[in-house]
Amino acid sequence: MNKETDFKRFLKLDLLPTPWCPGCGNGIVLKTICQVFDELDMPMKGTVVVSGIGCAGRSAGFFNLDSVHTAHGRAIPVAEGIKYANEALNVVVVSGDGDLLGIGGNHLLHAIRRKTDITVICYANEIYGMTGGQASPITPHNIKTLTTPDGNPDYPTDVQPLFRHNNSYFARTTAYHLNHMKKCIREALKFKGFSFVEVRTMCIVNYGRRLGYKNSNEMLLHYKEFYKINDSAGELAGNEIGIVKGLSQITDDR
Amino acid sequence: MQKQLLQGNQAIVMAAEAAGLKFFAGYPITPASEILHEMVSRKDIMVLQMEDEIASINAVIGASLAGLKVMTATSGPGFSLMQESIGLAHMMEVPLVIVNVQRVGPSTGMPTLPAQGDVIQCIHGSHGDYFPIVFYPNSVSELYTYTIMAFNAAEESMSPVILLSDGYISHLYETIVPHRDVEIRERSRLPLGMSNRHFTGLSHEDSMPKTSDVDNYRRLIAHLYEKQQVTARQYNHYEYRQCRKETDTLLIAYGALSRAAYYFKDDCALYRPVRIFPVVEEVKSIAPQYKRILVMEMNKGQYAHEIERILHREVECIPILGGRIDLDEIKQEIRQKMYE
Ligand code: SF4
Repeated sequence: MNKETDFKRFLKLDLLPTPWCPGCGNGIVLKTICQVFDELDMPMKGTVVVSGIGCAGRSAGFFNLDSVHTAHGRAIPVAEGIKYANEALNVVVVSGDGDLLGIGGNHLLHAIRRKTDITVICYANEIYGMTGGQASPITPHNIKTLTTPDGNPDYPTDVQPLFRHNNSYFARTTAYHLNHMKKCIREALKFKGFSFVEVRTMCIVNYGRRLGYKNSNEMLLHYKEFYKINDSAGELAGNEIGIVKGLSQITDDR
Repeated sequence: MQKQLLQGNQAIVMAAEAAGLKFFAGYPITPASEILHEMVSRKDIMVLQMEDEIASINAVIGASLAGLKVMTATSGPGFSLMQESIGLAHMMEVPLVIVNVQRVGPSTGMPTLPAQGDVIQCIHGSHGDYFPIVFYPNSVSELYTYTIMAFNAAEESMSPVILLSDGYISHLYETIVPHRDVEIRERSRLPLGMSNRHFTGLSHEDSMPKTSDVDNYRRLIAHLYEKQQVTARQYNHYEYRQCRKETDTLLIAYGALSRAAYYFKDDCALYRPVRIFPVVEEVKSIAPQYKRILVMEMNKGQYAHEIERILHREVECIPILGGRIDLDEIKQEIRQKMYE
Protein backbone atom coordinates (compact mmCIF):
# COMPACT_ATOMS: atom_id res chain seq x y z
CA MET A 1 0.00 0.00 0.00
CA ASN A 2 1.10 3.54 -0.68
CA LYS A 3 2.55 4.81 2.60
CA GLU A 4 1.14 8.27 1.91
CA THR A 5 -2.46 7.12 2.11
CA ASP A 6 -2.07 4.51 4.82
CA PHE A 7 -3.17 6.84 7.60
CA LYS A 8 -6.70 6.68 6.21
CA ARG A 9 -7.11 3.21 7.64
CA PHE A 10 -7.43 4.94 11.02
CA LEU A 11 -10.41 6.99 9.84
CA LYS A 12 -14.03 6.02 9.32
CA LEU A 13 -14.00 7.57 5.87
CA ASP A 14 -17.67 6.86 5.23
CA LEU A 15 -18.58 9.22 8.07
CA LEU A 16 -16.78 12.19 6.56
CA PRO A 17 -17.24 15.12 6.34
CA THR A 18 -16.79 16.04 9.99
CA PRO A 19 -19.18 18.53 11.62
CA TRP A 20 -16.38 21.12 11.76
CA CYS A 21 -16.57 24.51 10.06
CA PRO A 22 -14.64 25.00 6.82
CA GLY A 23 -11.17 26.26 7.76
CA CYS A 24 -11.19 24.78 11.24
CA GLY A 25 -7.81 23.55 12.43
CA ASN A 26 -9.25 20.41 14.03
CA GLY A 27 -9.01 18.50 10.76
CA ILE A 28 -5.26 19.15 10.55
CA VAL A 29 -4.75 17.72 14.03
CA LEU A 30 -7.00 14.72 13.36
CA LYS A 31 -5.14 13.90 10.17
CA THR A 32 -1.74 14.30 11.84
CA ILE A 33 -2.72 12.00 14.71
CA CYS A 34 -3.76 9.36 12.18
CA GLN A 35 -0.49 9.81 10.28
CA VAL A 36 1.49 9.22 13.47
CA PHE A 37 -0.70 6.24 14.35
CA ASP A 38 0.15 4.88 10.93
CA GLU A 39 3.85 5.65 11.23
CA LEU A 40 4.02 3.88 14.61
CA ASP A 41 1.78 1.14 13.24
CA MET A 42 -0.51 1.41 16.26
CA PRO A 43 -2.59 -1.77 16.52
CA MET A 44 -6.12 -1.18 15.20
CA LYS A 45 -7.28 -3.68 17.79
CA GLY A 46 -5.59 -2.56 20.94
CA THR A 47 -5.86 1.19 20.58
CA VAL A 48 -8.73 3.16 22.09
CA VAL A 49 -9.53 6.85 21.60
CA VAL A 50 -11.45 8.75 24.28
CA SER A 51 -12.81 12.28 24.06
CA GLY A 52 -14.85 14.77 26.04
CA ILE A 53 -17.33 17.32 24.71
CA GLY A 54 -16.90 20.19 22.27
CA CYS A 55 -15.76 20.55 18.67
CA ALA A 56 -12.53 18.64 19.33
CA GLY A 57 -14.47 16.09 21.36
CA ARG A 58 -16.27 15.01 18.22
CA SER A 59 -12.97 13.61 16.89
CA ALA A 60 -13.30 10.30 18.70
CA GLY A 61 -16.15 9.13 16.48
CA PHE A 62 -14.07 9.46 13.34
CA PHE A 63 -11.36 7.03 14.36
CA ASN A 64 -11.68 3.59 12.88
CA LEU A 65 -10.91 2.17 16.32
CA ASP A 66 -12.90 1.55 19.46
CA SER A 67 -13.73 4.98 20.80
CA VAL A 68 -15.61 6.58 23.68
CA HIS A 69 -17.18 10.04 23.57
CA THR A 70 -17.71 10.89 27.24
CA ALA A 71 -19.30 13.76 29.18
CA HIS A 72 -17.88 17.27 29.25
CA GLY A 73 -14.48 17.24 30.97
CA ARG A 74 -14.53 13.55 31.80
CA ALA A 75 -12.38 11.99 29.10
CA ILE A 76 -9.32 11.57 31.35
CA PRO A 77 -10.92 9.55 34.19
CA VAL A 78 -12.71 7.35 31.65
CA ALA A 79 -9.40 6.81 29.83
CA GLU A 80 -7.70 6.01 33.13
CA GLY A 81 -10.38 3.44 33.95
CA ILE A 82 -9.80 1.80 30.58
CA LYS A 83 -6.02 1.78 30.98
CA TYR A 84 -6.08 0.37 34.53
CA ALA A 85 -8.61 -2.26 33.50
CA ASN A 86 -6.49 -3.40 30.56
CA GLU A 87 -2.86 -2.29 30.59
CA ALA A 88 -2.25 -3.77 27.17
CA LEU A 89 -4.41 -1.13 25.48
CA ASN A 90 -2.97 2.07 24.04
CA VAL A 91 -5.28 4.78 25.35
CA VAL A 92 -5.33 8.19 23.69
CA VAL A 93 -7.45 11.16 24.75
CA VAL A 94 -8.35 13.85 22.22
CA SER A 95 -10.24 16.91 23.41
CA GLY A 96 -10.24 20.69 23.59
CA ASP A 97 -8.72 23.18 26.03
CA GLY A 98 -12.07 24.06 27.58
CA ASP A 99 -12.79 20.39 28.20
CA LEU A 100 -9.36 19.32 29.47
CA LEU A 101 -8.17 22.43 31.29
CA GLY A 102 -11.48 24.02 32.34
CA ILE A 103 -14.22 21.68 33.43
CA GLY A 104 -11.83 18.70 33.49
CA GLY A 105 -8.85 20.51 35.03
CA ASN A 106 -9.08 18.64 38.32
CA HIS A 107 -8.81 15.29 36.57
CA LEU A 108 -5.78 16.44 34.59
CA LEU A 109 -4.02 17.48 37.80
CA HIS A 110 -4.54 14.05 39.33
CA ALA A 111 -3.84 11.98 36.24
CA ILE A 112 -0.42 13.66 36.14
CA ARG A 113 0.06 12.75 39.80
CA ARG A 114 -0.97 9.13 39.15
CA LYS A 115 1.30 9.02 36.10
CA THR A 116 -1.30 6.98 34.27
CA ASP A 117 0.25 5.68 31.06
CA ILE A 118 -2.04 7.49 28.61
CA THR A 119 -1.50 10.19 25.99
CA VAL A 120 -3.64 13.32 25.92
CA ILE A 121 -3.78 15.45 22.79
CA CYS A 122 -5.32 18.85 23.46
CA TYR A 123 -6.70 20.83 20.52
CA ALA A 124 -5.91 24.20 22.07
CA ASN A 125 -7.92 26.81 20.16
CA GLU A 126 -8.15 29.29 23.07
CA ILE A 127 -11.95 29.46 22.92
CA TYR A 128 -15.16 27.54 23.48
CA GLY A 129 -15.99 26.95 19.82
CA MET A 130 -19.02 24.71 19.88
CA THR A 131 -20.98 26.95 22.25
CA GLY A 132 -20.33 30.05 20.21
CA GLY A 133 -17.11 31.66 21.44
CA GLN A 134 -16.93 32.08 25.21
CA ALA A 135 -13.59 32.53 27.02
CA SER A 136 -11.60 29.37 27.73
CA PRO A 137 -8.90 28.80 30.38
CA ILE A 138 -6.23 29.73 27.81
CA THR A 139 -7.89 32.74 26.18
CA PRO A 140 -5.19 35.43 26.39
CA HIS A 141 -5.48 38.47 28.64
CA ASN A 142 -7.55 41.38 27.27
CA ILE A 143 -9.09 39.38 24.41
CA LYS A 144 -12.76 40.05 23.74
CA THR A 145 -15.05 37.03 23.68
CA LEU A 146 -18.80 36.53 24.18
CA THR A 147 -18.25 36.32 27.93
CA THR A 148 -15.48 38.92 28.16
CA PRO A 149 -16.92 41.81 26.13
CA ASP A 150 -14.53 44.29 27.76
CA GLY A 151 -11.52 42.06 27.25
CA ASN A 152 -10.49 39.00 29.28
CA PRO A 153 -9.60 40.21 32.80
CA ASP A 154 -7.82 36.91 33.55
CA TYR A 155 -4.51 35.54 32.38
CA PRO A 156 -4.29 32.22 30.54
CA THR A 157 -3.35 29.13 32.49
CA ASP A 158 -0.15 27.27 31.62
CA VAL A 159 -0.02 23.66 32.74
CA GLN A 160 3.54 22.80 31.68
CA PRO A 161 5.15 23.15 35.14
CA LEU A 162 2.79 20.46 36.47
CA PHE A 163 4.23 17.98 34.02
CA ARG A 164 7.82 18.97 34.59
CA HIS A 165 7.60 18.52 38.34
CA ASN A 166 5.88 15.17 38.01
CA ASN A 167 8.22 13.67 35.43
CA SER A 168 5.53 13.50 32.85
CA TYR A 169 5.73 14.53 29.22
CA PHE A 170 4.55 17.91 27.95
CA ALA A 171 4.84 19.29 24.44
CA ARG A 172 3.42 22.38 22.78
CA THR A 173 3.12 22.59 19.03
CA THR A 174 0.85 24.20 16.43
CA ALA A 175 -1.32 23.28 13.48
CA TYR A 176 1.16 25.09 11.23
CA HIS A 177 4.28 23.16 12.30
CA LEU A 178 3.22 19.80 10.87
CA ASN A 179 6.50 17.95 11.24
CA HIS A 180 6.97 19.31 14.72
CA MET A 181 3.43 18.29 15.65
CA LYS A 182 4.15 14.79 14.36
CA LYS A 183 7.31 14.60 16.39
CA CYS A 184 5.53 15.72 19.56
CA ILE A 185 2.66 13.26 19.13
CA ARG A 186 5.05 10.45 18.21
CA GLU A 187 7.20 11.00 21.30
CA ALA A 188 4.14 11.37 23.51
CA LEU A 189 2.72 8.07 22.29
CA LYS A 190 6.05 6.38 22.90
CA PHE A 191 6.44 7.93 26.35
CA LYS A 192 5.85 5.49 29.21
CA GLY A 193 3.75 7.46 31.65
CA PHE A 194 1.43 10.43 31.37
CA SER A 195 1.99 12.53 28.27
CA PHE A 196 0.26 15.67 27.05
CA VAL A 197 0.50 17.46 23.72
CA GLU A 198 -0.98 20.94 23.46
CA VAL A 199 -1.64 21.72 19.80
CA ARG A 200 -2.38 25.38 19.16
CA THR A 201 -5.02 25.30 16.48
CA MET A 202 -7.43 27.74 14.95
CA CYS A 203 -11.12 28.25 15.43
CA ILE A 204 -11.72 30.67 12.61
CA VAL A 205 -15.49 30.91 12.95
CA ASN A 206 -16.03 31.68 16.63
CA TYR A 207 -12.65 33.18 17.53
CA GLY A 208 -10.38 34.15 14.65
CA ARG A 209 -13.12 36.07 12.88
CA ARG A 210 -13.63 38.25 15.97
CA LEU A 211 -9.87 38.74 16.35
CA GLY A 212 -9.78 40.18 12.84
CA TYR A 213 -8.28 37.33 10.82
CA LYS A 214 -9.71 37.44 7.33
CA ASN A 215 -9.50 33.70 6.78
CA SER A 216 -8.16 30.57 8.40
CA ASN A 217 -4.99 30.65 6.36
CA GLU A 218 -4.11 34.05 7.76
CA MET A 219 -4.76 32.70 11.24
CA LEU A 220 -2.56 29.67 10.53
CA LEU A 221 0.28 31.89 9.34
CA HIS A 222 0.14 33.69 12.67
CA TYR A 223 1.40 30.48 14.26
CA LYS A 224 4.26 30.40 11.78
CA GLU A 225 5.31 33.92 12.67
CA PHE A 226 4.56 33.95 16.37
CA TYR A 227 5.89 30.60 17.61
CA LYS A 228 9.56 29.61 17.69
CA ILE A 229 10.69 26.02 18.13
CA ASN A 230 12.70 25.31 21.27
CA ASP A 231 12.87 21.57 21.82
CA SER A 232 15.49 21.53 24.53
CA ALA A 233 14.00 24.05 26.94
CA GLY A 234 13.39 23.32 30.60
CA GLU A 235 10.36 25.53 30.30
CA LEU A 236 8.69 27.05 27.26
CA ALA A 237 8.04 30.77 26.99
CA GLY A 238 4.64 31.99 25.78
CA ASN A 239 5.80 32.22 22.18
CA GLU A 240 7.74 28.98 22.15
CA ILE A 241 6.77 25.50 21.07
CA GLY A 242 8.74 22.43 21.98
CA ILE A 243 9.09 19.49 24.29
CA VAL A 244 9.48 19.83 28.04
CA LYS A 245 10.78 16.86 29.90
CA GLY A 246 10.42 16.09 33.58
CA LEU A 247 13.22 17.00 35.97
CA SER A 248 14.58 13.48 36.41
CA GLN A 249 14.33 12.81 32.70
CA ILE A 250 16.65 15.74 32.17
CA THR A 251 19.07 14.28 34.70
CA ASP A 252 18.91 10.92 32.95
CA ASP A 253 19.76 12.53 29.64
CA ARG A 254 23.05 13.86 30.92
CA MET B 1 -20.81 -21.89 54.24
CA GLN B 2 -19.90 -20.76 57.74
CA LYS B 3 -21.73 -18.12 59.73
CA GLN B 4 -19.88 -14.83 59.91
CA LEU B 5 -20.31 -11.67 61.92
CA LEU B 6 -20.19 -8.91 59.33
CA GLN B 7 -20.76 -5.19 59.09
CA GLY B 8 -23.18 -4.15 56.36
CA ASN B 9 -20.47 -2.44 54.32
CA GLN B 10 -18.23 -5.51 54.66
CA ALA B 11 -21.04 -7.72 53.38
CA ILE B 12 -21.35 -5.51 50.31
CA VAL B 13 -17.64 -5.97 49.55
CA MET B 14 -17.74 -9.74 50.08
CA ALA B 15 -20.76 -10.06 47.83
CA ALA B 16 -19.24 -7.85 45.15
CA GLU B 17 -16.17 -10.04 45.15
CA ALA B 18 -18.32 -13.15 44.85
CA ALA B 19 -20.21 -11.53 41.96
CA GLY B 20 -16.95 -11.08 40.05
CA LEU B 21 -16.03 -7.48 40.83
CA LYS B 22 -12.61 -6.66 39.38
CA PHE B 23 -12.44 -2.86 39.50
CA PHE B 24 -13.48 -0.34 42.13
CA ALA B 25 -13.00 3.42 42.09
CA GLY B 26 -14.22 5.65 44.87
CA TYR B 27 -13.75 8.66 47.10
CA PRO B 28 -13.94 8.60 50.90
CA ILE B 29 -17.27 9.63 52.41
CA THR B 30 -19.10 8.77 55.61
CA PRO B 31 -20.90 6.35 55.98
CA ALA B 32 -19.66 4.52 52.86
CA SER B 33 -15.89 4.68 53.45
CA GLU B 34 -15.58 1.17 54.92
CA ILE B 35 -16.37 -0.17 51.46
CA LEU B 36 -13.28 1.57 50.07
CA HIS B 37 -11.21 0.42 53.07
CA GLU B 38 -12.29 -3.20 52.62
CA MET B 39 -11.69 -3.10 48.89
CA VAL B 40 -8.03 -2.12 49.13
CA SER B 41 -7.25 -5.35 50.99
CA ARG B 42 -8.65 -7.50 48.17
CA LYS B 43 -5.84 -8.87 46.02
CA ASP B 44 -7.89 -9.59 42.90
CA ILE B 45 -9.69 -6.24 42.77
CA MET B 46 -8.04 -3.16 41.27
CA VAL B 47 -8.88 -0.21 43.51
CA LEU B 48 -8.41 3.47 42.70
CA GLN B 49 -8.97 6.25 45.18
CA MET B 50 -9.94 9.05 42.82
CA GLU B 51 -9.89 12.83 43.31
CA ASP B 52 -13.69 13.01 43.58
CA GLU B 53 -16.88 11.11 42.88
CA ILE B 54 -17.10 12.46 39.33
CA ALA B 55 -13.75 10.88 38.52
CA SER B 56 -14.82 7.70 40.32
CA ILE B 57 -17.95 7.08 38.28
CA ASN B 58 -16.14 7.93 35.05
CA ALA B 59 -13.24 5.60 35.86
CA VAL B 60 -15.64 2.73 36.46
CA ILE B 61 -17.42 3.51 33.20
CA GLY B 62 -14.07 3.21 31.39
CA ALA B 63 -13.11 0.01 33.20
CA SER B 64 -16.51 -1.52 32.50
CA LEU B 65 -16.22 -0.77 28.79
CA ALA B 66 -12.76 -2.33 28.94
CA GLY B 67 -14.39 -5.56 30.07
CA LEU B 68 -14.40 -5.72 33.87
CA LYS B 69 -17.17 -5.91 36.42
CA VAL B 70 -17.05 -2.59 38.25
CA MET B 71 -18.51 -0.76 41.20
CA THR B 72 -18.33 2.54 43.04
CA ALA B 73 -19.71 3.44 46.46
CA THR B 74 -20.65 6.77 47.97
CA SER B 75 -23.17 8.70 50.03
CA GLY B 76 -25.63 11.47 49.11
CA PRO B 77 -23.24 14.35 48.33
CA GLY B 78 -21.04 12.09 46.21
CA PHE B 79 -24.07 10.55 44.56
CA SER B 80 -25.19 14.03 43.49
CA LEU B 81 -21.80 14.61 41.87
CA MET B 82 -22.12 11.38 39.90
CA GLN B 83 -25.48 12.20 38.36
CA GLU B 84 -24.33 13.52 34.98
CA SER B 85 -22.26 10.45 34.26
CA ILE B 86 -24.98 8.09 35.50
CA GLY B 87 -26.96 9.47 32.56
CA LEU B 88 -23.95 8.89 30.30
CA ALA B 89 -23.71 5.26 31.43
CA HIS B 90 -27.40 4.73 30.69
CA MET B 91 -27.02 6.24 27.24
CA MET B 92 -23.90 4.17 26.45
CA GLU B 93 -25.41 1.06 28.09
CA VAL B 94 -22.56 0.45 30.51
CA PRO B 95 -23.12 -2.17 33.23
CA LEU B 96 -21.95 -0.99 36.65
CA VAL B 97 -23.07 -0.96 40.27
CA ILE B 98 -23.37 2.19 42.39
CA VAL B 99 -23.79 1.81 46.14
CA ASN B 100 -25.31 4.80 47.91
CA VAL B 101 -25.11 4.58 51.71
CA GLN B 102 -27.51 7.39 52.58
CA ARG B 103 -26.97 9.94 55.31
CA VAL B 104 -28.99 12.97 56.37
CA GLY B 105 -29.08 15.83 53.87
CA PRO B 106 -29.44 18.22 52.09
CA SER B 107 -25.82 19.24 51.72
CA THR B 108 -23.44 18.01 54.39
CA GLY B 109 -26.42 17.37 56.66
CA MET B 110 -25.67 14.87 59.41
CA PRO B 111 -22.88 12.67 58.06
CA THR B 112 -23.02 9.89 60.64
CA LEU B 113 -26.78 9.49 60.82
CA PRO B 114 -28.96 7.42 58.48
CA ALA B 115 -31.58 8.80 56.10
CA GLN B 116 -33.56 7.84 53.03
CA GLY B 117 -33.40 11.19 51.33
CA ASP B 118 -31.83 10.09 48.05
CA VAL B 119 -34.68 7.88 46.94
CA ILE B 120 -36.05 10.18 44.28
CA GLN B 121 -32.54 11.24 43.24
CA CYS B 122 -31.99 7.64 42.11
CA ILE B 123 -34.57 7.97 39.38
CA HIS B 124 -34.62 11.69 38.66
CA GLY B 125 -31.11 12.85 39.59
CA SER B 126 -29.68 12.94 36.09
CA HIS B 127 -31.15 14.89 33.20
CA GLY B 128 -33.36 13.40 30.53
CA ASP B 129 -35.32 10.15 30.60
CA TYR B 130 -33.72 7.05 32.00
CA PHE B 131 -35.15 4.14 33.96
CA PRO B 132 -32.80 2.75 36.58
CA ILE B 133 -33.21 -0.42 38.60
CA VAL B 134 -32.77 0.25 42.33
CA PHE B 135 -32.56 -2.21 45.24
CA TYR B 136 -32.89 -1.32 48.90
CA PRO B 137 -32.25 -4.25 51.29
CA ASN B 138 -32.88 -4.00 55.05
CA SER B 139 -30.32 -6.28 56.70
CA VAL B 140 -26.67 -7.27 56.43
CA SER B 141 -27.68 -10.60 54.96
CA GLU B 142 -29.89 -8.90 52.38
CA LEU B 143 -27.11 -6.45 51.53
CA TYR B 144 -25.06 -9.50 50.61
CA THR B 145 -27.77 -11.06 48.46
CA TYR B 146 -28.85 -7.90 46.69
CA THR B 147 -25.30 -6.77 45.94
CA ILE B 148 -24.99 -9.95 43.88
CA MET B 149 -28.41 -9.32 42.34
CA ALA B 150 -27.35 -5.76 41.49
CA PHE B 151 -24.35 -7.07 39.54
CA ASN B 152 -26.54 -9.56 37.72
CA ALA B 153 -29.18 -6.97 36.91
CA ALA B 154 -26.46 -4.60 35.65
CA GLU B 155 -25.16 -7.23 33.24
CA GLU B 156 -28.62 -8.19 32.15
CA SER B 157 -29.78 -4.63 31.52
CA MET B 158 -26.36 -3.31 30.40
CA SER B 159 -26.89 -0.32 32.64
CA PRO B 160 -25.98 1.19 36.01
CA VAL B 161 -27.86 -0.47 38.87
CA ILE B 162 -28.16 1.30 42.21
CA LEU B 163 -27.92 -0.44 45.56
CA LEU B 164 -29.31 1.80 48.28
CA SER B 165 -28.24 1.39 51.85
CA ASP B 166 -28.13 3.80 54.77
CA GLY B 167 -25.83 4.63 57.65
CA TYR B 168 -27.91 2.35 59.87
CA ILE B 169 -27.77 -0.97 58.00
CA SER B 170 -24.34 -0.35 56.51
CA HIS B 171 -22.87 0.12 59.98
CA LEU B 172 -24.88 -2.68 61.55
CA TYR B 173 -23.14 -5.94 62.54
CA GLU B 174 -25.16 -9.11 62.00
CA THR B 175 -24.36 -12.78 61.76
CA ILE B 176 -25.00 -13.99 58.25
CA VAL B 177 -24.30 -17.02 56.09
CA PRO B 178 -22.80 -15.54 52.95
CA HIS B 179 -24.07 -17.92 50.32
CA ARG B 180 -24.90 -17.36 46.72
CA ASP B 181 -28.26 -18.74 45.85
CA VAL B 182 -28.24 -17.07 42.48
CA GLU B 183 -26.12 -17.84 39.47
CA ILE B 184 -23.50 -15.20 38.68
CA ARG B 185 -24.07 -13.66 35.27
CA GLU B 186 -21.12 -13.44 32.93
CA ARG B 187 -20.10 -10.39 30.91
CA SER B 188 -21.62 -10.61 27.48
CA ARG B 189 -20.29 -7.63 25.57
CA LEU B 190 -16.99 -7.49 23.73
CA PRO B 191 -14.45 -5.39 25.70
CA LEU B 192 -12.82 -2.30 24.18
CA GLY B 193 -9.87 -2.80 21.90
CA MET B 194 -11.31 -5.55 19.70
CA SER B 195 -13.28 -3.62 17.13
CA ASN B 196 -14.22 -0.16 15.89
CA ARG B 197 -17.30 0.62 17.91
CA HIS B 198 -18.11 4.13 19.12
CA PHE B 199 -19.69 4.79 22.50
CA THR B 200 -21.34 8.17 22.95
CA GLY B 201 -23.73 10.05 25.19
CA LEU B 202 -25.24 11.64 22.10
CA SER B 203 -28.41 10.24 20.64
CA HIS B 204 -27.18 7.51 18.34
CA GLU B 205 -28.03 4.56 16.14
CA ASP B 206 -25.76 1.52 15.90
CA SER B 207 -23.27 3.48 17.99
CA MET B 208 -23.01 6.41 15.57
CA PRO B 209 -24.22 9.88 16.66
CA LYS B 210 -27.61 11.03 15.35
CA THR B 211 -28.37 14.34 16.90
CA SER B 212 -31.28 15.67 14.91
CA ASP B 213 -33.23 12.54 13.99
CA VAL B 214 -36.29 12.72 16.24
CA ASP B 215 -37.72 9.34 15.22
CA ASN B 216 -34.41 7.66 15.97
CA TYR B 217 -34.31 9.28 19.42
CA ARG B 218 -37.82 8.03 20.18
CA ARG B 219 -36.81 4.51 19.12
CA LEU B 220 -33.69 4.72 21.29
CA ILE B 221 -35.58 5.79 24.42
CA ALA B 222 -38.28 3.15 23.79
CA HIS B 223 -35.55 0.52 23.53
CA LEU B 224 -33.84 1.68 26.75
CA TYR B 225 -37.16 1.77 28.61
CA GLU B 226 -38.25 -1.67 27.43
CA LYS B 227 -34.89 -3.22 28.26
CA GLN B 228 -35.01 -1.85 31.82
CA GLN B 229 -38.59 -3.04 32.36
CA VAL B 230 -37.84 -6.54 31.08
CA THR B 231 -34.82 -6.86 33.37
CA ALA B 232 -36.64 -5.36 36.36
CA ARG B 233 -39.37 -8.00 36.05
CA GLN B 234 -36.75 -10.66 36.76
CA TYR B 235 -36.21 -9.02 40.13
CA ASN B 236 -39.72 -8.45 41.51
CA HIS B 237 -38.54 -8.53 45.10
CA TYR B 238 -40.82 -7.32 47.88
CA GLU B 239 -42.22 -8.51 51.19
CA TYR B 240 -45.92 -8.53 52.07
CA ARG B 241 -47.25 -9.59 55.46
CA GLN B 242 -50.95 -9.75 56.03
CA CYS B 243 -52.11 -8.95 59.51
CA ARG B 244 -53.44 -11.73 61.75
CA LYS B 245 -56.11 -9.37 62.99
CA GLU B 246 -58.69 -7.54 60.89
CA THR B 247 -57.14 -4.31 59.70
CA ASP B 248 -57.88 -1.59 57.23
CA THR B 249 -54.31 -0.24 57.24
CA LEU B 250 -51.36 -1.10 55.03
CA LEU B 251 -48.05 0.21 56.33
CA ILE B 252 -45.36 0.68 53.68
CA ALA B 253 -41.73 1.01 54.76
CA TYR B 254 -38.38 0.03 53.27
CA GLY B 255 -34.69 -0.18 54.15
CA ALA B 256 -33.64 0.57 57.72
CA LEU B 257 -37.05 1.86 58.75
CA SER B 258 -38.85 -1.31 57.65
CA ARG B 259 -37.16 -3.04 60.58
CA ALA B 260 -39.07 -0.75 62.96
CA ALA B 261 -42.24 -1.35 60.93
CA TYR B 262 -42.22 -5.09 61.86
CA TYR B 263 -43.15 -4.00 65.35
CA PHE B 264 -46.62 -3.16 64.04
CA LYS B 265 -47.29 -6.50 62.38
CA ASP B 266 -50.20 -7.15 64.75
CA ASP B 267 -51.79 -3.80 64.09
CA CYS B 268 -51.62 -3.49 60.33
CA ALA B 269 -50.49 -5.23 57.15
CA LEU B 270 -46.93 -4.56 56.02
CA TYR B 271 -45.53 -4.02 52.57
CA ARG B 272 -41.80 -3.60 51.97
CA PRO B 273 -40.44 -3.02 48.49
CA VAL B 274 -36.88 -4.32 48.00
CA ARG B 275 -36.52 -3.52 44.33
CA ILE B 276 -37.85 -0.08 44.99
CA PHE B 277 -37.55 1.17 41.38
CA PRO B 278 -39.24 0.59 39.05
CA VAL B 279 -42.04 0.30 41.63
CA VAL B 280 -43.08 -3.36 41.90
CA GLU B 281 -46.45 -3.73 40.15
CA GLU B 282 -47.84 -6.09 42.81
CA VAL B 283 -48.53 -3.17 45.12
CA LYS B 284 -51.44 -2.36 42.80
CA SER B 285 -53.21 -5.61 43.65
CA ILE B 286 -52.34 -5.50 47.36
CA ALA B 287 -53.37 -1.92 48.09
CA PRO B 288 -57.12 -2.07 47.22
CA GLN B 289 -57.75 -4.36 50.21
CA TYR B 290 -56.91 -1.54 52.57
CA LYS B 291 -58.75 1.66 53.34
CA ARG B 292 -55.71 3.43 54.67
CA ILE B 293 -52.18 3.41 53.32
CA LEU B 294 -49.35 4.75 55.44
CA VAL B 295 -45.88 5.27 54.01
CA MET B 296 -43.23 5.63 56.65
CA GLU B 297 -39.83 6.83 55.44
CA MET B 298 -36.80 8.81 56.53
CA ASN B 299 -37.56 11.76 54.27
CA LYS B 300 -40.45 14.13 53.72
CA GLY B 301 -42.49 11.72 51.61
CA GLN B 302 -40.43 10.86 48.54
CA TYR B 303 -41.67 7.30 48.09
CA ALA B 304 -45.15 8.21 49.31
CA HIS B 305 -45.50 10.43 46.23
CA GLU B 306 -44.42 7.57 43.99
CA ILE B 307 -46.93 5.19 45.60
CA GLU B 308 -49.65 7.80 45.30
CA ARG B 309 -48.86 8.22 41.64
CA ILE B 310 -48.90 4.48 40.99
CA LEU B 311 -52.09 3.80 42.95
CA HIS B 312 -53.99 6.94 41.94
CA ARG B 313 -55.15 7.45 45.50
CA GLU B 314 -54.14 9.37 48.54
CA VAL B 315 -51.61 7.88 50.93
CA GLU B 316 -50.60 9.23 54.31
CA CYS B 317 -46.98 9.90 54.95
CA ILE B 318 -45.02 9.47 58.16
CA PRO B 319 -41.72 11.27 57.83
CA ILE B 320 -39.04 10.17 60.30
CA LEU B 321 -36.41 12.87 60.01
CA GLY B 322 -32.93 13.61 61.29
CA GLY B 323 -31.70 10.03 61.55
CA ARG B 324 -33.47 9.10 64.79
CA ILE B 325 -35.48 5.88 64.73
CA ASP B 326 -37.33 6.01 68.04
CA LEU B 327 -39.96 3.34 68.52
CA ASP B 328 -42.04 5.37 70.97
CA GLU B 329 -42.14 8.28 68.60
CA ILE B 330 -43.07 6.00 65.69
CA LYS B 331 -45.77 4.26 67.76
CA GLN B 332 -47.32 7.57 68.57
CA GLU B 333 -47.26 8.68 64.93
CA ILE B 334 -48.78 5.45 63.64
CA ARG B 335 -51.46 5.12 66.32
CA GLN B 336 -52.42 8.72 65.75
CA LYS B 337 -52.84 8.11 62.01
CA MET B 338 -54.71 4.84 62.54
CA TYR B 339 -57.15 5.97 65.16
CA GLU B 340 -57.49 9.67 64.61
S1 SF4 C 1 -16.52 26.52 16.01
FE1 SF4 C 1 -14.33 26.81 15.78
S2 SF4 C 1 -13.39 25.01 16.69
FE2 SF4 C 1 -15.56 24.55 16.35
S3 SF4 C 1 -15.59 23.57 14.34
FE3 SF4 C 1 -15.98 25.73 14.00
S4 SF4 C 1 -13.95 26.57 13.61
FE4 SF4 C 1 -13.63 24.59 14.53
